[in-house]
Amino acid sequence: MTIDPRHENFQQEALPSFDTVSPNREAIALQVERLGLQLDGKVILQEVSFSLPVKGVTSVIGPSGAGKSSLLRCLNGLLTQWSGSVAVNGCDTRQWRGGWDQLRRHVGLIAQKPVVFNTSIRANVCFGLKSWRQRRHADELVEKSLRQAALWDEVKDRLNAPATTLSMGQQQRLCIARALAIKPRMLLLDEPTASLDPHSKQLIEQSMLQIAEQTPLVCVTHDLAQAQRLQGSVIFMCDGRIIEQGPGEQLFAQPQRIETREFINWSVCDCD
Amino acid sequence: MTIVLVVGFLLQSSWPLLQQQGIAFVAGTEWYPFESLYGMLPALIGTLWAVALALLIALPCGVAAAILSAELLSPRLRSTVRFGMELLAGIPSVVYGLLGIWLLIPLLESQFELLTGRTLLAAGLLLALMILPTIMVFSEDAISAVKQSQREAAKNLGIGWDATLWRVLLPQAWPGIRIATLLSMGRAMGETVAVMLVVGSIDRIPEPFYNLLQPAQTLTSRIGREMAEASVGSLHWAALLFCGLILAILAMAISLLTHRQRLVV
Amino acid sequence: MNLSHLQYRDTISKSIVWLLAIPALLVPTIILGYIFWKAAPVLDWNFISGAAEGIGFGVTEGIFAQLLGSLLLAVMACVMAAPFALGTALYYCIYASSRQQRLLIAMFNMLQGIPPIVFGLCGLVVLVNLFSWGVSLLSGAVVLAMVLLPLLVLNTLAALERIPLKYTEAGRALGLDSSDIIWRLWLPRSWLNLLTGLLLAMARALSETAPIMFTATVFSGVVWPDSLFSPVTTLQTHIFYLAQEGNDSQVISIAWGSAAVLVLLVAVFGLLARVLKKLEAD
Repeated sequence: MTIDPRHENFQQEALPSFDTVSPNREAIALQVERLGLQLDGKVILQEVSFSLPVKGVTSVIGPSGAGKSSLLRCLNGLLTQWSGSVAVNGCDTRQWRGGWDQLRRHVGLIAQKPVVFNTSIRANVCFGLKSWRQRRHADELVEKSLRQAALWDEVKDRLNAPATTLSMGQQQRLCIARALAIKPRMLLLDEPTASLDPHSKQLIEQSMLQIAEQTPLVCVTHDLAQAQRLQGSVIFMCDGRIIEQGPGEQLFAQPQRIETREFINWSVCDCD
Repeated sequence: MTIVLVVGFLLQSSWPLLQQQGIAFVAGTEWYPFESLYGMLPALIGTLWAVALALLIALPCGVAAAILSAELLSPRLRSTVRFGMELLAGIPSVVYGLLGIWLLIPLLESQFELLTGRTLLAAGLLLALMILPTIMVFSEDAISAVKQSQREAAKNLGIGWDATLWRVLLPQAWPGIRIATLLSMGRAMGETVAVMLVVGSIDRIPEPFYNLLQPAQTLTSRIGREMAEASVGSLHWAALLFCGLILAILAMAISLLTHRQRLVV
Repeated sequence: MNLSHLQYRDTISKSIVWLLAIPALLVPTIILGYIFWKAAPVLDWNFISGAAEGIGFGVTEGIFAQLLGSLLLAVMACVMAAPFALGTALYYCIYASSRQQRLLIAMFNMLQGIPPIVFGLCGLVVLVNLFSWGVSLLSGAVVLAMVLLPLLVLNTLAALERIPLKYTEAGRALGLDSSDIIWRLWLPRSWLNLLTGLLLAMARALSETAPIMFTATVFSGVVWPDSLFSPVTTLQTHIFYLAQEGNDSQVISIAWGSAAVLVLLVAVFGLLARVLKKLEAD
C-alpha cells in the first residue's frame, strides 16, 4: 500500500509494518484505490484513489454534482455497486466480517440534515448500542459523547426530554454524539453545517477539530473557508475525479492544477 | 334552511334511539331482574370473545403482512397486494356469512369432531378474516409513512434490519396501527349477518368459560335473529332494544377512543 | 461482539414476519377465488336477467329482481342522504364556529361507528311501526340513508377541505357571497371528489344487509315493488335466506352465484371510485 508523504498530518511514528488482513489501528486509516461508480448509466465516480491518515481532518471540496456525497456513501457501504477497492485500517470493506452493517459501525456517517429519532436525547445518543442492558448503563458514555460533540452543557439537565425539542444545530450535534457513542474508527460527514446558523457552525467545527485528534474525519463541504479552518488535507474533486489533493495551506495558496485555481477563485468571488 | 333540516335531522336520529332505549332499559331491568342479567351476559360475553379472538388472529397477521409489503416486497408486488386487500375490504358481510356456513363450519366439524360447527371459534375466525384487510392497509400506510431518512440514519449507525423494524419503524407506526385496531374492533363488534349464521345462537355462557368450541350468542346475532319474532312493545322487545343500546354505547366508546387518539396524535 | 448472533436475529425476525404474513395474504386470495369458482356453474346471462320465482323453498334461478332491488335501495338511500350530507358539510365549512365544528366531527365519528343493525332496529321501531310505513322500500331506504350519512358527511367534508384556502379567499375578495362561492367556486372544483364519495357510499349501501333485513325485505318472493310502501327483495337478503336453506346443491349454487354478482357489483363501484381518485390526482 502506498503512503502519501505529502500529508503533513500523517504521523511518522504510526508507520509500523502491518498485517493486511486484520484491522490495525496504527496503520493508515483508509486506503481507496481506483474507486469507480456508475448509476443508471451515469458515471458518478471514476478512478478515485487516495489515502487517509490516522488522525486529522480531510476536507473534500468541489462543485455540486462532483460526486462527493456519493464517495462518502461508497466508503460506508450505503452504496455497494462500486468498483475498485476500499480498505479501512488495512481491511477490505467488501470482506468485512459481519457484512455492511458491521462496517457501518466502524465507519460512521453524518448526513447533511440532522435526523433524530423520536425518543429522548439520552436514548438517541445510545441508540447505536446493541443491547438493552448496554443502553441502561451507558450514562458515562452518553456524557462523554455529548461533551465531544459540544452539546453536554446545553442538555445535561434535560437528558430525558424529547430530542425533537432541540434546535437544528443542537440536533446535528446530537447526531454527532450518537455516531461517536459507538466508537467508530473513522467518521464521515456530509456537509454537516450546511443549513445551520453561524454559532452552531463554529461549535461543530471546534468539536470536529477535537475529535480529529483521535479519529480521522472526512468532511465534505461547500464552504472553502470552513475547509481552511479545519486545517487538514484537502481533496478537490470535479466530475467524479480527484483533481488535486494535498495539505490545505499548500492547496489553497498554490494550487497546482488550473481547475483547482479556477474553482478557488470562483468560490472566493461568489462567497458572501 | 338546510342547516335547520340537517341539525334537526341529526338530533332526531340520535334522540329517539336513546329515548326508546331509555324506556326499554327501565323496563328491562325492572321486570326481568334475574332473567335480564342472565339474558344479557351470555350475549355480551359472546360478543367480547368473538371480537377478542378476531383481533388476536388478525392483528399479528395483518401487521406482519403490512411489514412484508412495506419493507420486503418489490414495488410491483406491493401495489398488487395493496389492490387485492382494498378489494377484499369491500366484500359484503353476507358473502362472508356464506363462506362461514358452507366452508368454515364443515371444516371445523371435521377437524375438531364437533356435533355442530356453529361455534364461537367460527365467529372469531370469520371476523378475523373480515378485519384483516383493514388492519393490513392501515398498518402499511403507517409503516410506509416513516420517512426514509429515519431508516437511513439507523443504517448509518450499523443497526440491522430487525432492530430497525422494532426500534424505529414500529414505534413510529404505532399510532396508525392503534387506530386501525380500534376501527376494526368497532367493525367486528357490530358485524351482524356473518356472525348470525355461524355462531349458533344459543344463549349460554361457554363452560368452561374459555371453551370456544361451543355454540354461543353475540349481541348482534341475538338482535338479528329475534327481531322478526318479538312483538313490538313487549318486554322481549325491550330486551332487544337494550342489546342495541349496549352496542351503541360500546361503539361510541370505541369511537371516542379513536377520536381522541386522532386529536392527540 | 457476537456477529453470528446478530445475523441470526435478523433471519429469525424475517422468518416470523413471513410466517405470519403468508396466511394473511394467501387466505383472502383463496377465498376470492373460491367464491367465483363456486359461482361458475350458475353464472350466465339468464341468471342475471331472469326472475326468481317461487315462494319459500321453491326458488329457481334468476336474480334480476333482487339485483334491481338492491340497486334501487342503494340509489334511493344515496339520493336521500346526499343533500343532507352536502348541507351539513357546507354548514360546517361556512357557518359553524370552531366549537361546533369539533362537536359535529365528534358526533359523526361516533355515528359512523354505530353498528348498522342498531339503525335497523331503530328504523323498525320508528318507521315501520310508529309511522306505520310497514316493511317497505321507503323504510329501508331511510334506514340505509341513516347508515350512509356519517360516511358521506365525512367524505364530503374531506372533499371540500381539499379546496385550497387561496381559492376561497380570492372569491371573497371579489365580493362574492356565500351561495355564489358554493355554486360557482367550490362545486365545480370538487365535484369529482364528491362523486367519489357518492360511489363509495353506493358500494357501502350495496354491502349492508342488517339494516334492511327487516325494514325493507320479506322472504316470500316479491318480484317488483308496486309502490314506495311495498317490500322489495335484494341480493343481500336473498343470499342470506338461501344460506339458511342450503341443502340442495342447486340452491347452493344460486347462492354462490348471487354472492359473486354482489361482490362484482360492489367492486365495480369501488373501482370507479378509485379511478376517479386517480383522475383527480392528475
